[in-house]
Amino acid sequence: MKMLATDLLVAGRNLLRHTRRNLFLGGAIAAVAALLVLFLGLVAGFRGAMMESATTLMCGHVNVGGFFKITSGTSAPLVTDWPKVMEDVRRLVPELEYATIRGRGYVKAISDSESMDLVISAIQIEKERRFRRVVELTEGRLDDLGQPNTILLSDKQAERLHVKVGDALTLSAPTARGVSNTMDVRVAGVMRSVGVLSSIFAFLPEESLRRLYQLNDRTTGAIHLFLKDPDAAPQVMSRLLADLRKAGYRVMDHDPQPYWMKLMMKVNSEDWTGQKLDVTTWQDEVSFLDTMLKIVSALATILVSVLLFIVVIGIMNTLWIAIRERTREIGTLRAIGMQRTKVAWLFLLEAGLLALGGATAGVLAGWGLSALVNAANLKVNEGLQMLISQDHLSVVIRPGALALYVAGITLLTAVGALLPAVRASRLRPVTAMHHIG
Amino acid sequence: MHRIATLLLLPLLGGPALARAAEPDVNQIVRAIDERQRNQGDWKALCYMEQREKGKTDVVYELVVYRRDLANQQLFLFTKPKSEAGKGYLRLEKNLWFYDPGVGRWERRTERERIGGTETRRGDLDESKLAEEYDANYLGSEKLGAYQVHKIELKVKPGVDVAFPVVRLWVDQATDNVLKRQELALSGRLMRTAYYPRWKKVHSQSKKGDVWYPEEMRFFDEIEKANSTHIVIQQIDLRSLEANIFTKAWLESKSR
Repeated sequence: MKMLATDLLVAGRNLLRHTRRNLFLGGAIAAVAALLVLFLGLVAGFRGAMMESATTLMCGHVNVGGFFKITSGTSAPLVTDWPKVMEDVRRLVPELEYATIRGRGYVKAISDSESMDLVISAIQIEKERRFRRVVELTEGRLDDLGQPNTILLSDKQAERLHVKVGDALTLSAPTARGVSNTMDVRVAGVMRSVGVLSSIFAFLPEESLRRLYQLNDRTTGAIHLFLKDPDAAPQVMSRLLADLRKAGYRVMDHDPQPYWMKLMMKVNSEDWTGQKLDVTTWQDEVSFLDTMLKIVSALATILVSVLLFIVVIGIMNTLWIAIRERTREIGTLRAIGMQRTKVAWLFLLEAGLLALGGATAGVLAGWGLSALVNAANLKVNEGLQMLISQDHLSVVIRPGALALYVAGITLLTAVGALLPAVRASRLRPVTAMHHIG
Repeated sequence: MHRIATLLLLPLLGGPALARAAEPDVNQIVRAIDERQRNQGDWKALCYMEQREKGKTDVVYELVVYRRDLANQQLFLFTKPKSEAGKGYLRLEKNLWFYDPGVGRWERRTERERIGGTETRRGDLDESKLAEEYDANYLGSEKLGAYQVHKIELKVKPGVDVAFPVVRLWVDQATDNVLKRQELALSGRLMRTAYYPRWKKVHSQSKKGDVWYPEEMRFFDEIEKANSTHIVIQQIDLRSLEANIFTKAWLESKSR
């Protein structure tokens, strides 16, 4: 232990002898670390907002949906006899916090002057805890959505359809058997848009969608499960899929796509009739948005990796210079009996110490910068809002991850320093002592 | 006195019965409509569909319609505009398939699909099957422009799947041609109005008689008032078609 303290002291003193050079290098490491924290924090912010938006507007953490096919060519996103499925799901998922049912639909909404296609989520507003907590109304009352023949629109939809609270809309859609049907509804509320999902999703009372689609009260669109720990969604989904099969249900193989994509691209082409359940996670239901997030993550990773590579090259270069400058010193140390491994260890320790200091400073700076961004409440433009599912930039930092970033950067830098350190340790004492630097 | 009272009451008591007796047989009219359009053999026609939609540029589609009525087979092959050329619908029994050469994949669509996103449905380009799908009710005789017409209401038969459960027809009393058709949703709301201003006939060898078809059809969306589709049917050919036309391979080969 004492030896390690001495080694650290020696390495620290050597670093201090070349203050300017090491400050530049440490600064570069710090900048990369700060950027890493900021980029990954932004991506985590996007992901968090997307989950919030998705699990409020369109799905639960885990979803038990399904398709009913009257003929092999006609399918609808329905779960028949949902009370029984709900009972089984409650029994099979002890991680459950609460569950709701949602009707799924697709309608054309027509106002006096405009029309647009809407994806409908039919809700029982009194049972939607999360929805009530998260959705922010700019007009109207959320409780009015409990009345039949009402609709909740986003501000962008209301603007496009030129309607406000109290105005009438006609909804037109084919029933599950393909018969044309219409329904006149009153706008009960207008909610603030958050992300791309709120521009396509509108909300009806569950009972109204049933009437539009001519469904009985034991049929719904999907059962949304909200878990105590949302991160457990993939494991719960896999287990539930297997358990529902064991319980005798026909369950589709897991396919990480949103239900509407399966309805349009897959289920209609399959040769089966009757009911099949489909179990998904929230990530599956927003996989079309997740691609964008993956691209942003990949770009951030590439950028940080390039910067990190440049820093490692810088470290290697600095050590090469240090070895050249200190060749005679190395020769003397070797001549008085210092082992090769000890020489390599000292150089590695120098690089590691520099990286540790730089990375720690950078990570702390990144953390501070993230706090500043959050405090500034920076508003993003509408185009970007659609993509990142948030109207203000938010950076999410997990303190546990910061230590990992520091360890990672220090380790990478030490690996970069390995080659020059080994080279220094291989110098022959006689040659080194005769070196004129 | 009794005789006078009887004479006065007679129109009141016997009037409705006499009126019913004067009503034409509505089922016979509906059967006549179907029979006039029935072909029995193969059918090929060149169609032009002009789609008008609010806020969008008008689009004219050219397509060839193939039918083999006895086997319930239908094929629509789009030839224009260039962006749509090669796309097609194939109906085999009760399944309607859509093919897009851009993605090279077949998708099963609902029977009541809007063809090419227009106001047209598959049934508009098929032979008439009103008697098979609907129960008819005579609403009266009235004038539609210069024509004296029968007004008929059709309600879907139980267990039959159709896009519109209620249909109203205005049928020319002189020719039995349908001049106007209104289609209503389950809620009773008027969804679409169609006009058939020109009817033509062509001799069919397989039927050994004339087959009537609307040379022009105009569909108006009653929900989105600005949307409409105008269809013109030309170059009817009732000769037998090749046996392999109603196959996926044939349609795919046309888009290569």
